[in-house]
Amino acid sequence: MIDIILKDMWSPIAFILVLVLTALVAYMFYSLGNPAYKRTKHKGEPFISGNAPPKDVRLIHVGGDNVFWGFTHALRKYLDPLVKGHTGILNDYVYWMVITMALVLIYVYILI
Amino acid sequence: MNSLFYALPFVMVAVLIIMGLYTVLFKRNLIKMIMGVAIIQNGVNLFLVSLAYREGYVAPIWTSAPDVDMVLPTPHALTLTSIVIGVATTALMLSFVIMLKKHYGTTDSHETRRCKE
Amino acid sequence: MSLDLVNASPAFILGIPLLFAFLTPLADRISKELRDAVFMIGLLLTVLFVAVMSYEVFTAEGWAYVFGAEETGEITRFSFFRIMFVADGFAALATITVAITALGAGIYSFAFMEGQTGMEKFYTLFLLTLAGVNGMILTADLFNLFVWFEVTSIASCGLVAFINYKGKSVEAALKYMFISVIGGLFLLLSIGLLYGEYGILNYFAIAESVNGGVVDRVALSIILVVLGMKASSVPMHMWAPDVYTESPGAVTPFIAITSLGSLFVLFRILFVVFRYSVSTAALGGLLIILGLLSMFVGVSMALKQSDVKRLIAYLSVSQIGYMLLAVGVGFSTLENGDYATFGALALEGGFFHMINDGVYKALLFLSAAAIVYSTGTRNLNKLGGLAHRMPYTTMFFLIGGLSIAGIPPLSGFSSKLLIYKSIYLYHPILAIIALVVSIITFALIGKVFYNAFLGPDLGLSKGEVPTTMLLAMGILTAVVVVFSLFPNYVVAEIVVPAVEALGVTA
Repeated sequence: MIDIILKDMWSPIAFILVLVLTALVAYMFYSLGNPAYKRTKHKGEPFISGNAPPKDVRLIHVGGDNVFWGFTHALRKYLDPLVKGHTGILNDYVYWMVITMALVLIYVYILI
Repeated sequence: MNSLFYALPFVMVAVLIIMGLYTVLFKRNLIKMIMGVAIIQNGVNLFLVSLAYREGYVAPIWTSAPDVDMVLPTPHALTLTSIVIGVATTALMLSFVIMLKKHYGTTDSHETRRCKE
Repeated sequence: MSLDLVNASPAFILGIPLLFAFLTPLADRISKELRDAVFMIGLLLTVLFVAVMSYEVFTAEGWAYVFGAEETGEITRFSFFRIMFVADGFAALATITVAITALGAGIYSFAFMEGQTGMEKFYTLFLLTLAGVNGMILTADLFNLFVWFEVTSIASCGLVAFINYKGKSVEAALKYMFISVIGGLFLLLSIGLLYGEYGILNYFAIAESVNGGVVDRVALSIILVVLGMKASSVPMHMWAPDVYTESPGAVTPFIAITSLGSLFVLFRILFVVFRYSVSTAALGGLLIILGLLSMFVGVSMALKQSDVKRLIAYLSVSQIGYMLLAVGVGFSTLENGDYATFGALALEGGFFHMINDGVYKALLFLSAAAIVYSTGTRNLNKLGGLAHRMPYTTMFFLIGGLSIAGIPPLSGFSSKLLIYKSIYLYHPILAIIALVVSIITFALIGKVFYNAFLGPDLGLSKGEVPTTMLLAMGILTAVVVVFSLFPNYVVAEIVVPAVEALGVTA
């Protein structure tokens, strides 16, 4: 049985079986909990240092460029020249193709 | 001298392609850049035709042909196809430039870059 | 002589879309419903013939279909002067990829393009692109390749500029057209070089006489760069984000599949024509360099994007890098003894990744288009909370996104696992880079998912997209799920014949 499932490199079926088993075990622990617990009315609201959440839903959702801001900011010395290199000028597109062609030509001529 | 004479078309091919590439790389007007593409196109077509040429051979038309050798027929077929494709692509690109001019008001390649980064 | 439909199926794969491409404008004269029906029939018939050809290849063996041959199925010395189509495992893999994506994009277009004028021309362009890509893949004739290359360029540029909003899509189409035409001219130049040297255009005939001289090297470099450009490998990738972003949402996956098709063609030419005359280790090294650049630059640029389609476009550039990397590793092991240990595994991983990538990328682009359809914006800074109104699209995006990020148990993981295992044996540092890129891809998919779908309902969405669009995404999702659940079966039945078709043996 195991042989059939794990015949090659890996088996998604076995993976999903393990996932389902894990979920069952988790549900078992969950069902051991206290059923008398009541959900509070604040469930799902964001916690902002104990302040009341803003009325406008737009202010709750942090999105767009703010996600991974720290990561991209830390890498700005690498990313900014890269972004600047994508000029959008048609001449540059052709330029890159010609340059690559020349470099590949040299590479192929020397090494192959 | 003779070999130089036969090399002349290929020199011309190189000149045309380099001229076309220069135009495409360094001219900022989109119409001029398309002209550059057309020049490269002609260079490549000339290259194909020059490949087929053999001195003293006749055109490859079988109907009532004299009994002598013929030049290579395939490159001529290729060139014809390539010319037709070239007309289509040039027309399409020029029509794009017309629409671009309507919307952006310019044909400068350094100005027409709202898609970038 | 009776018409042998199975033998002639490669010709029908081209002929059907070409015929129906010009039937749709005629049908439009009668009624809109008939036009849509004609388009759908053409698409389904093409898919049917792809299925017929693939079934024959997988159950029996591949064959070469020669146009204008006296006897079908017989290869004489004249066959190499005629146009030859190759129906083998590799062509089957590639055409299946194209067919699945075309089916998804075609069904999606009905609702997405509703209200647009000139739809009969849209269908014409769509079917012409389909014929062009399949022609590029199936042909074994260099000049025929050039013709289909240009057909694909012209038709797909028409598709890109089809919905013109403030001229941006025209700009993208012009850029794509311009660089494709210049690429095509260089391709023609290299074809001329090869023809001038060998006097023949058939891949197999050239492969017999190719000697690796200066002319061959020049031709090889030009073909590599041009098809690499069309496949959007860095640093010739810059057209890709523009085009994928500005093209109509329904056909974006289809434009993306043209670049995948070019990659298939590139691999076929490298394996069939140039393999015996070059040092495969060095040429494989070149593919690996291009692949690493594509992976890394693609994913880095995606970090800075705030446009959902542009972000996915850069991710797709980085996915192209995986295929170049894996096939480069496989190609470089052809000469030494490593092919049996990990070279074959790398090729299987690369080709499996290609078919996976075609499908899940289509799914991602279509769900991004669903976002645009429903909210009217692509800006991630404005989007949010779409999961409240669009539950199905959310699910489809999640499946596609997890697959592109290579999260088990989805199909992207299966192919990436093969790639990691093989390139680790080639050089461990490559596997580490591939893993890092995969992690950043996951982070970016998380960013898009969090931004667009999670959070409070901002009231942007008009509700779930129409049923036909859901159906199209559903079909692609089903394919992703099947590939996810049975990777061993897919590899054994579809991918391994493709590797064997390229004539590589341990």
